[in-house]
Amino acid sequence: MTAALEASGLGRRYGSQWALRDCTLEIPRGSVTALVGPNGAGKTTLLRLAVGLTRPSAGSVRVLGLDPHDDAAEALPRVGFLAQEHPLYGGFTVDEMLRVGRQLNPGWDDAAARARIAELDLPLKKKVRSLSGGQRAQVALTLALAKRPELLLLDEPVASLDPLARREFMQSVLEAVAEREMTVVLSSHIVADLERVCDHLVILATGRTQLVGSIEDIVASHRLLTGPRDGSEDVTRVHDVVRETHAERQTTLLVRANGHVYDARWTVHELDLEEIVLAYLGQDAARRREAVAS
Amino acid sequence: MIWLSWRLQRTETLVALVILALLTAWLVPTGLDMWNAYQHSGLGACIVHQAPRCDMDIGLFRARFGGISSLASWFNLIPGLIGVLLAAPLVSDLENGTYRLAWTQSITRRRWLLGKLGLAVVSALLAAGGLIALFSWWRTPEAQLDGRLDNGVFGTTGIVMLGYTLFALGFALALGAVWRRTAASLLVGFVAYVAARLMVEFKVRDHLVAAVHATWKGRPPASMDNANVLSFVATVHGHTVLNTGPFSGGNVKFQAPGLGHAIFHAVYQPESHFWPLQLTETALFAGVALLLIAFAAWRVLRTD
Repeated sequence: MTAALEASGLGRRYGSQWALRDCTLEIPRGSVTALVGPNGAGKTTLLRLAVGLTRPSAGSVRVLGLDPHDDAAEALPRVGFLAQEHPLYGGFTVDEMLRVGRQLNPGWDDAAARARIAELDLPLKKKVRSLSGGQRAQVALTLALAKRPELLLLDEPVASLDPLARREFMQSVLEAVAEREMTVVLSSHIVADLERVCDHLVILATGRTQLVGSIEDIVASHRLLTGPRDGSEDVTRVHDVVRETHAERQTTLLVRANGHVYDARWTVHELDLEEIVLAYLGQDAARRREAVAS
Repeated sequence: MIWLSWRLQRTETLVALVILALLTAWLVPTGLDMWNAYQHSGLGACIVHQAPRCDMDIGLFRARFGGISSLASWFNLIPGLIGVLLAAPLVSDLENGTYRLAWTQSITRRRWLLGKLGLAVVSALLAAGGLIALFSWWRTPEAQLDGRLDNGVFGTTGIVMLGYTLFALGFALALGAVWRRTAASLLVGFVAYVAARLMVEFKVRDHLVAAVHATWKGRPPASMDNANVLSFVATVHGHTVLNTGPFSGGNVKFQAPGLGHAIFHAVYQPESHFWPLQLTETALFAGVALLLIAFAAWRVLRTD
């Protein structure tokens, strides 16, 4: 079975600026993947490429084994997409928005859409423009879900929401995943939101992929080591250092461990996901500072 | 898709219908007045038979309705207004980012675009058709007196409004596809429409169909009745005694005293050129409109 989302050497350039570069990754079917990265890392560009809104400048992207642009007629019905701004027709009522979904999607599940709207207590006769941000996000999600996609792409779905609406939205995504087989990719720069929902992680930094894997493996393989100021070479030769900090007498290393750390001079600590993500993003920020300085 | 396109164009359609309704409310009573005056005063019969007392009747008719018909040159703006208005649904979809919503449903963006452009073009043609029917009826009595080639009249008779409306639509669409701002695109589109109309009216129209050159002594040729005269020169013994600029309309009477021996030379578009001129100008505007719409479509399909 082909991957839900597959990118190889994928890049998108706007003018002379690369919004996404050299992105190679494979997201397995049935996974719920968090796409993490700082603002401007190319998360939105990657998702837009995946749904065929934009075309690659380099490399290729395939969703469910299809080219999202060239095979649009075949791919579109199977991919759900929710853009960051949750675009909806402001002058339409919720009811009319559902009608839009029904008319533009052959696989539309009207009963499920209406049940969702009723369950969320969204007023059918009210104009979308007069809804709260959280309600609009829910209407947009309903549209994306009722299409019954095999792959659902959510671009910063909760960025504009208050904490309560954020929680409710994520809960909705969780329920949807529990109800039926579906691959979900959602981007965010808030790790806490994702940990509860996701089982896979992609870290995207300065337009390149840095880390792809299941969250379980990622947490299991990353360790924080504290040890002597000198003599870290033995460790760095074997393990991949993500972050290195030096104090007067000791060195702290955040590593992606390739196997066990045997050296007794080093104390080994476990890490939670947020610390790991922050280390990667910090590494990226440092690299960007260097790039600007040079 | 058709329902969605229609729903998104509802407001604009309504505005266009209100414009048409207001026009009708004004054109029908004044038009009936003119038709009455034309038929019952015997003016119609008199023009057909070229009776001598025509001049007075024509004068009376002009005195009564001259104000109204000079107001009518403002009608030239209406096709532009309706044309740019119908570009609004597509441009505002681009401005608000809602095209991304449509493009990530199950239909291809090509179909989406076809639905939207198709509806806009058909609506523009229908609106123009309505205007044509309305104005042609309203203009008929007056056209008997002054002909239909006068610059103020030409644009609101015949079929040329089809081209104008499409042109305004196409221009606003092309601007909006690049600019993605509804109000600004519509406004600039309308200004461009007026500029294009003025340019064609004063610089291009006279050359669309080859003008007639005529030289005579005594009575002017019959084809000069209601003609659009581009130049008119009278010479006596090789000396120019009269040189008028362009003028149009009316039955030309140049039996001026003292010019009895003059040789007249005129360049003009006779009334028989009305349809060739209408067809060429319609084709010109509609052709440019199609290019603009094609450009807009190409640009929109490349948007991400």
